Amino acid sequence: MNKATTVQPPSPLRAFWHKWRFHINVLLLLVPLGFMPKYFADAALFRGDSGLGEREVGEVQVGPWSLTLAELRNEAPRPDPAGPMKSFNAALCKECVKQVKATYLRIGKPRSLRAAGVIFFGTPYRMGAALPVPERTSPDAELWITMEGWDGSMQQASIPLSQASPATVAWLTQQGVKP
Amino acid sequence: MTLIRLTRACAVLILCAGASTQALAHNPMCECKEIPGEQIQCTGGFSDGSGAPGVTLDVIGYDETILVPGKLGADSTLTFKKPSAEFYVLFDAGPGHVVEIDQADIQAQ
Repeated sequence: MNKATTVQPPSPLRAFWHKWRFHINVLLLLVPLGFMPKYFADAALFRGDSGLGEREVGEVQVGPWSLTLAELRNEAPRPDPAGPMKSFNAALCKECVKQVKATYLRIGKPRSLRAAGVIFFGTPYRMGAALPVPERTSPDAELWITMEGWDGSMQQASIPLSQASPATVAWLTQQGVKP
Repeated sequence: MTLIRLTRACAVLILCAGASTQALAHNPMCECKEIPGEQIQCTGGFSDGSGAPGVTLDVIGYDETILVPGKLGADSTLTFKKPSAEFYVLFDAGPGHVVEIDQADIQAQ
């Protein structure tokens, strides 16, 4: 009683996979290598090894104090559920580290200290703030910096948005001013 | 089978890598609209999806007088009568965590 059994030959693709699967999987180890340059660039940016931000705006004098302002990334505002956001970094001058209580950033002149805009958080040597940029912002708008001292004093200064972030102005111009 | 599993695992890993770069900030948000009866309803919240019950929301005149001092209710909204004077709405979740809405930006019904 011989029972004939027919063995199906494996498909060429399956044979190839069986023969080379371990070698092909080793290639997966190469995938992270492609992300390494971006990873190290980001690590240097967030540690501060590559400066305050991708693009340094320069020193801004605010009354008796001053701060160094930088764009975290030299790019247009990033979308967020709360509207487009642009990240800035700042470092207080050495003499004012102990005198300044809070630093705020806003597009347009603040109506009051309560509405002075977003607050910078972090160490005075490297603070960060995410500034909402309304889509209807005029490209010739001004960026206002408000500083509050521990003595209760308040100082304000402004710089053109085109100086603070040319990428943001280019983005606004491209969008067109919305009503 | 193994190939399919491997592909799926890779897809999940790549998706996770993409999601991890998203900022985990929660920015304040506020929206106001006009509702029938000369009233304005404002809804506050944060960009991480959380609500803002009990957060201060003041209606302030252009001369900086507080016209309606208020706090958002349990449903994160506040309804108030439209002031006759020029005003703006200030959602105030703490220093530097504010949203200003000018009367001109409040959508009519």
